[in-house]
Amino acid sequence: MYSPFDFNEAMNHRKDFVEEALRPGSPAVGIAYEGGIALLSVNRSQRKIYEIYDRQMFSAIGRQADIENVRLASIQMMHQEGFERSPDDVSIQRLVGFSLSPALKKAFGEQFAAPFVIRALFAELGRQPGTDNFFTLNYDGEFRQHRGAAVVAGTSGAEDAMLEKIGEPNPGQSREEALHKALSAWSTGAREAIKRRLAIGGRDDGDDYNPLRDIDESEADSVFLRDELKNGKLEVGLLERRGARDSRFRLLSADELDKLVQDHI
Amino acid sequence: MIEVAGDLWSLLEKRGHPLTRPEATAMPARPYDSPAGQGVGAGTGVVDTHGTTVIAVKFDKGVINVGDRRATANFAVMYDKSEKVLPIDDYTLLAISGSFARAMEAVRYLRTTFKLFERTYLQSMSLDGKLAELAKVVRAGIPDAMQGIGGFIPILTTFDRESNEGRIFFYDGMGARFESAEFGAAGSGSMQIRGVFDYIVKTRKPFHDMNREEALKEALLLLDIAADLDAATGGWAKVLPLATTITADGIEDVPEDELRRIVADIDRQGGERIAPRR
Repeated sequence: MYSPFDFNEAMNHRKDFVEEALRPGSPAVGIAYEGGIALLSVNRSQRKIYEIYDRQMFSAIGRQADIENVRLASIQMMHQEGFERSPDDVSIQRLVGFSLSPALKKAFGEQFAAPFVIRALFAELGRQPGTDNFFTLNYDGEFRQHRGAAVVAGTSGAEDAMLEKIGEPNPGQSREEALHKALSAWSTGAREAIKRRLAIGGRDDGDDYNPLRDIDESEADSVFLRDELKNGKLEVGLLERRGARDSRFRLLSADELDKLVQDHI
Repeated sequence: MIEVAGDLWSLLEKRGHPLTRPEATAMPARPYDSPAGQGVGAGTGVVDTHGTTVIAVKFDKGVINVGDRRATANFAVMYDKSEKVLPIDDYTLLAISGSFARAMEAVRYLRTTFKLFERTYLQSMSLDGKLAELAKVVRAGIPDAMQGIGGFIPILTTFDRESNEGRIFFYDGMGARFESAEFGAAGSGSMQIRGVFDYIVKTRKPFHDMNREEALKEALLLLDIAADLDAATGGWAKVLPLATTITADGIEDVPEDELRRIVADIDRQGGERIAPRR
């Protein structure tokens, strides 16, 4: 006999399983600026930021196989739509709401299959500043639209801290300004996730174990970032509103990344 | 969760898209139509619009494409401002002749499939891969073409960044691919001017040794001759032809005033040589 209690319990088990796997993921930050939009993250092995269509890009935390499945499915659906109708009809609203969200919800509810371990961030370039679009999509099919900036991280606490760090969206800001904000937000989110991880190790207050507890916040962010960049690699993908090339997407070059980090720390 | 097909062709095939299933769109010949074929589309009851003459020649920095602007259906001029030289990526142009409907679909297919490949596999498709994709689309049109509609012949030109040179590939109706060292032409006016290319190469100099101005002028002159000798190819009395170059810097349209100047040169020199009729 299958009671409602069993259903709740089973769903909670699945939720705990996924949340635990997502927790250590390196956050991703999406931010809009005057000349386009940027996605920023630090990858520890695999590349994390991908172009998925003419004006759309994507980043995610989670299991590599699940990220790849969602990435390939997104690319395929958008190209099919763009071919059968027009590239102008391709949107992340349709992709996320119509195609991905129902499929993820269904997969999450299937008790005898492994759930998707993914939290994804989609970004779409608008024609004018202020019209850029972000969507975050969760492993259970829940999605949210954001304007100006959006983040995905290992815990909702980390996500809140990151959004607070970015502050009010400012679509008129310069690229440098936006990237510095995004980099600060990344450090904050990644640190927050570590705090939680330490807290789980038996103590109530994770700060006791935090090696950075005696330094002030902004200093701590720099120290932490410098440390993370020893093993990880900063990655920034842009969709630029203006440009001669057919493609709007590019990754920041190694020189541009070096300059960003040097100015930041 | 979501099934991934891997490439656009198999995805479209699975969905039964007409591009990959041409026999589904072809209609049986109607017995009361003349089987001898009164022009394009006879025997099917369908008349499709055709692009006429396109020409590609090399020059010292890359490749020049020129095309007239006319689109015809049987003996009717359907459109006088058609564009037959179309970019399919940053370094590749497709010049089309024959059925517009199918050629335009092929262009959209190629644009989409190149991008899909690059975004999926995180590397751009090789030149050989691109040429094979084009052959696939041409070949898929054979059943239609047998019935007198939908056949098209493309010329693919590209700047090969590995060997640092422009390259020209032309196709036959079956999808066979040939590389040309100097020039390519397709469409109803192309047969009439074929020998002129050889004459230019043998008596003046190879196209790949010409500078942009020289090669552009020869290409436009060839287009003018095609318009004189082929009823379906448009001249430039009303609308200027289009000319596009591909070099290491990418694709660029030849500016209108430059075209106007060269065209006027050709008209003047031609006029001086041919004695006025009295």
